[in-house]
Amino acid sequence: MRFFDPHIHVTSRTTDDLERMAAAGVRAIIEPAFWVGQPRTTAGAFVDYFASLLGWERFRSAQFGIAHYCAIGLNSKEANNEPLAREVLELLPHFVLKEGVVAVGEIGFDEITAAEERAYVAQVELARDNDMVVMVHSPHRDKKRGIARSLDIARELGLPMAKLVIDHNNEETVKGTLDAGAWAAFTIYPHTKMGSERMVEIVKQFGPERVIVDSSADWGVSDPLAVPRTAKLMLERGLSAAVVASVTWQNALDAYGQSGQIDVEGLLAKPTIDQRQLFADNSVLRGQDPRVEAPVPN
Amino acid sequence: MSAASFLRALLEARLAPTGRAWLDAAVGELAAGVAPVRGSALFSQASRHARRVPLAPTAQQCAEAGRILEGWNPERWNVLEAMRVTLLLARRDLAADSGVQALTELFRYADEGELCALLRSLALLPAPERFVWRAGEGCRSNMRSVFEAAALDTPYPARHFDDLAWRQCAIKCLFVGAPLWRLWALDTRLSDELARMALDLAEERRSAGRPVPPELWLCLGTYGGARGLAALERELASANPNALGRRAAVLALARAAQRERFAALECANEPALRDVLSRVRAGETSAPTFRHLEPA
Ligand SMILES: [Zn+2]
Repeated sequence: MRFFDPHIHVTSRTTDDLERMAAAGVRAIIEPAFWVGQPRTTAGAFVDYFASLLGWERFRSAQFGIAHYCAIGLNSKEANNEPLAREVLELLPHFVLKEGVVAVGEIGFDEITAAEERAYVAQVELARDNDMVVMVHSPHRDKKRGIARSLDIARELGLPMAKLVIDHNNEETVKGTLDAGAWAAFTIYPHTKMGSERMVEIVKQFGPERVIVDSSADWGVSDPLAVPRTAKLMLERGLSAAVVASVTWQNALDAYGQSGQIDVEGLLAKPTIDQRQLFADNSVLRGQDPRVEAPVPN
Repeated sequence: MSAASFLRALLEARLAPTGRAWLDAAVGELAAGVAPVRGSALFSQASRHARRVPLAPTAQQCAEAGRILEGWNPERWNVLEAMRVTLLLARRDLAADSGVQALTELFRYADEGELCALLRSLALLPAPERFVWRAGEGCRSNMRSVFEAAALDTPYPARHFDDLAWRQCAIKCLFVGAPLWRLWALDTRLSDELARMALDLAEERRSAGRPVPPELWLCLGTYGGARGLAALERELASANPNALGRRAAVLALARAAQRERFAALECANEPALRDVLSRVRAGETSAPTFRHLEPA
């Protein structure tokens, strides 16, 4: 099977992970801009981070036959440093219109503060004015209220619900998200949020429509193979191949394909690897022979 | 004809009507003057109206480009790059500080495709020497697309790089596997030092049991000396499985004006070397001759 993991921070993952992901069938990924585990102190740090998502990380994934797209935005945690947030919001128009940027994201709420709301509003407006998709990170604490607020604001600002993806849903929030007409994404974390077992039950109960599975793998304890692992469990638990394909491939493609930035035909073609390409002053190759035109095992 | 009108004419047949309309509107807007963030947006949004497919100019069109600016060859440009360079050239203030500021802004936020277009445009700008640091940065990239946009099919390095940057640019082609013969006017800036660097690289590769890039031999010219000749003889050895390397070595011997050695090779008339021998006999010894050597 082939998989689309529409939320993974591969900047924090090693080439071993990329190799395992390709081998497990992960063919396309989206890397949303988020915080980096600790707060940045200058706008320049954001410029370089956004540039790395568009440049080095896309190139690095391509060397393993994985198509890398990204979402650009100011995350909710760092929205609380308002002087810096204002600078970053001013920078965003330089990045969100670039090739391969499929959404404004991940944005939304963390502590549900006024500063977070101001940043969210500005970015939903930016997305709306440029006909873009929005990827919303929902908070760990007070999740239900955070999601409701994210949906309400987007609706008030005139963003079509079909262009809104709410991520990190759980059993308590899925109904509200789907009823609003937005896409409901679920992050499979090994220990928190949502495990594969619970995901199977949710798909059984709510069906596959507008439901998306992702890994959100990052620099914490997380699993870059969460999407293929969950698909395997779903099949074992009797969900049909068509349903599994919807929630681990097609729905993400449909949601983020609305950006016009995904080359669907290219994705469907058998991916190949060309490790000869080099980027900046690094190559992921350190003396070993490049694997050129090697088909990806999926 | 100006570079801008030449590119616009090339794009006429290569864009959809909506793409042409968008481009003309954007050109009008840029010519009238825009805020930096708007200029940046137009530069990015070009990707919505032109694709990264080969521009594929005809041989006549490439020749025309060379008449507009000697050394400019858009043979390997893509349509999106041509559109972006057309946008850049639409600005009226390129000679002024505000034009430099606009370019600085575009470089600061450029993604890979934008960076390539910016680098390809440099030789076409007024007073291009103002951007020599940018071109050098492009050559320091190991991403082949970016490096080649800065280094190849443009007169920029030969005209504006100092000796150190020029030699690094030439040797870097060999490292990243970029076609050195496309480095414009290579033959006008050969030197003892470049030949030494090339020969050191050849020895390094041989010590490591790795193949020597065939185009390395183009760096010798008449500067290889005895060490160069010895290295070429080793490359020429019939046991060398690198057929293209052997042909390149024949070309290099001719470029080093080794007439007697060349005559001996003609006498031997080995089938694998016939093509390069006949080219040299016809006087084709410039670096771009390498293009016509049959690949291994
Ligand atoms: Zn995330």
